[in-house]
Parts: sequence; structure tokens; C-alpha cells
Amino acid sequence: MRQTMRQTMASTILFPVGRSISSDQSLMIARTDAEAAYRDLSSYRISIALEDGVWQVDYELKESDAQGGGPHYLIDARTGQIISKRYEQ
Amino acid sequence: MHHSRTQAPTANELAASPFVVHALNLAWLQSQPDDPNFRHEEGGWIYLNLNTGEMTTLRATRGGQTSVNLSHPPHLTGAVVVGKFHTHPNPSWEGWEPGPSASDDIVNERDGVPDLIRADDGIYFSGPERRRGGLWGEPGFPT
Repeated sequence: MRQTMRQTMASTILFPVGRSISSDQSLMIARTDAEAAYRDLSSYRISIALEDGVWQVDYELKESDAQGGGPHYLIDARTGQIISKRYEQ
Repeated sequence: MHHSRTQAPTANELAASPFVVHALNLAWLQSQPDDPNFRHEEGGWIYLNLNTGEMTTLRATRGGQTSVNLSHPPHLTGAVVVGKFHTHPNPSWEGWEPGPSASDDIVNERDGVPDLIRADDGIYFSGPERRRGGLWGEPGFPT
């Protein structure tokens, strides 16, 4: 059966409608958006958590001595849409 | 101590100092905020000489697009660190947060001196109002 596809706000990534997106898919949505703003994501550690139907994806600096910030996302676990994002620096 | 100051300057006093403002503006220009490919953070430390009351700044190693390490201020004889400064060169009109990050606040509270952050829409403060514990203690950070 063909599935309807929906385009997310973040990019041209397509996910099937009608079922929750996985953690890997939410990470991909976040990373696609983050790569457009941050030149290099290699200095970040990523954490992800699902709560009340929302994936929270956070990029935190690996270097604990450094001051700075990374991108933070709330992603709808049903649609894959980015509900909110924050670019810290 | 030969000068009259008995307390460390507050973040507001630092931000009102032409000397500090000049250091912030220089760091801002060197952050290349107008170049999306080379924007990077710059920063450093503000010292108060305990004998003369004069302020001095030293610059840290150039940072990355969204971070800089200010955790290891060099020691200056007869002086203590009373503040830090750094830049947030990524523009707020592109959706970037101009103010302090959660990491900025955590590190600045730990280090115990105010941090002045120069962004495209002004100067932000992070950390304690003034050097924790006064002008005494370690020559670097008070902790």
C-alpha cells in the first residue's frame, strides 16, 4: 500500500504519515537543520529524549571548559515537524 | 593596596569603562561578524592591578564559530581577574540567540567573575555581578 508522504519544515526529508518518527529520524531532521547554521558539528555531544510526543534534541559542547552553545530542537514525534529551535552561541 | 578601591567593579561598571568598551569593540571587529564563513568568537580577561587600580585586558586564543575557552587566564603579577569578555558574532537577525548560552552561565558562575558578551544588538552580562569574594584570593579566578 502506498503511503502518503509529508515534507517536514526542516528540509526535504520525507517521512510516512500516520506513525511516529524514530529517534534516528528526529536526529536526521535536527542535523539537517543544524548543518545549515553551524559550520562544524564535530565539537558537540548530542542528546535525545522523547517526552509527551516530542523529541528533544540537544547539541552540547564536548569541551566542558569552553563557553559556547549549540542548537536545540523540539520535534513533533508524530509529524517530524520542528516545533521550536534555538541556536545558541 | 595603594589605590582606594576596596571592591571589585561590577559588570555595569566594567561595561561603562571606555577601556573595556574599546577592548570589546576590538574583539567584535576581529570576530569577523560580517563574514558568514569566518565568523568566530573572540574574548579575554579583564584584570585590576591591586597597586595602581589600573585595568588591563589580555586576549584568549581565538575561538570557534560558537565557542571560546576563557577558563585559563594567565596570571599577572599584582593583579586579579575582575571580569571576562567575549563575542557572539552570529547575527540575531538570522535567528541566533545573541545573549548568554546555558553553558556561558554555568561556566561564569563557576569561575566567579562577570562576563561581558558583545553581540550584534548590544552587550549582555553573565555570571556574578562582580568578582566573587572581593579583590582577595587567587590572582586568577577567585575559585
